[in-house]
Amino acid sequence: MKVKVLMMAVLLAGFAAIDGPSFAHHGNAAFDLGTPVVLKGAVITEFRWINPHPLIKADYKDDKGNVQQWTMELGSTVSAQLIGWTRTTLQPGDVVTLYVWQAKTGVTVGRFNKVDFADGTTMRDTQTGGDDGGRADTGQRN
Amino acid sequence: MRKTSMGIIAGVVGVLALSALVAAQTAPQKNAPRSPWKYYPEDARANEGPGGPAPVRDMSGTWAGESSGAGVKRLVPPEREPAFTALGKELFSKNKAESGGVLIAQSNDPHVRYCDPFGFPRNMNDQIRSMTIATVSNRTFVMLRFMNIWREIWMDGRTLPTNFAGRGPDVHDPTYNGYSVGRWTDDYTFVAETTGMAAETWATEGGYPHSVDARVTERFNRSSKNDLSLTMTMDDPKLYSRPLSLGVVNFRWIPSQTFFDFSCVPSSVQQYLKEVADPASSPSAAR
Repeated sequence: MKVKVLMMAVLLAGFAAIDGPSFAHHGNAAFDLGTPVVLKGAVITEFRWINPHPLIKADYKDDKGNVQQWTMELGSTVSAQLIGWTRTTLQPGDVVTLYVWQAKTGVTVGRFNKVDFADGTTMRDTQTGGDDGGRADTGQRN
Repeated sequence: MRKTSMGIIAGVVGVLALSALVAAQTAPQKNAPRSPWKYYPEDARANEGPGGPAPVRDMSGTWAGESSGAGVKRLVPPEREPAFTALGKELFSKNKAESGGVLIAQSNDPHVRYCDPFGFPRNMNDQIRSMTIATVSNRTFVMLRFMNIWREIWMDGRTLPTNFAGRGPDVHDPTYNGYSVGRWTDDYTFVAETTGMAAETWATEGGYPHSVDARVTERFNRSSKNDLSLTMTMDDPKLYSRPLSLGVVNFRWIPSQTFFDFSCVPSSVQQYLKEVADPASSPSAAR
């Protein structure tokens, strides 16, 4: 027990050094933050660098050969820039694997989690970039 | 002792791993040539400590607020349980704020739906990631990065207007930022008073209402070269039976004196609502 408390204290001390937002501009209650939908081989059709959220649009061919059109939101431009995003991080025509927290309504819309590029690099979201739906840097859920 | 040591090592490894994750994602930016036009949050974070004494009667410059990546102390939020009057409670019940658990499609926050300006005092406690303060002989300007809005605080000894309703030559139009006067109360504290804010705006992200006669007091305190804090209270007897604390916002000096552009564009908001927020909130709105 003492070891676990100490581990948490050290982790929290590290997290405190990174100031994430204590509030969310928009919440994520509309999205299922349980298991992300994986869109392997998705083709980026548009990356709109806008506020309140940049929009990533992609075509994804499912296992039946049907093309689904997905749209997902990323953290605000200001937040995304803090972790390395720019308006040219994604380009139309990029073939990537997208991980998205789908809307609970079941439409092909969601909150972006992360993207794996063909060169092996990965870019994550701000608020929901963690593999468990929390922040990738602190693990907190906003 | 051995278990304790292993625990500490595991914790440190965990922090380093997560830091590496963030660092790896930002590595391309770190290796790029530096531009004086860009904001580098790592530089702002590296600017630790007080940085020296506060200059006397001077809070000019560009400041980083929370969520700017500059390591700013977390804000104290507005008080959670205001002492509403009956009218205040009624008006508050009509404001459907996202932070109140409402999905975007059901929110009537005019900023969320239309990109309407926050108005004061909300623009000083919501999305306050950066601001620039500049002073001329008789005024101090607070220029807010979010939506590139500026406020004007008069320091020439004038009194605040009091009549914002009805007809007559002394009636003043309510405005989004209200009417502000300010003065230095000591060498490091600047106090501003504002009234006449348009009543259709919200005082906070959470939807606290305010009347046009509300009076907001801001107390800016510069405790060091690098640290500025802002404490706000709102006195609005029509809607609150006692003054309402709007919290404390902290700022850190930005060494490069520049910050990211941070705009809200109405057409972009409409696209976002149409293509993501509304379909995600309501199946009937799906395209």
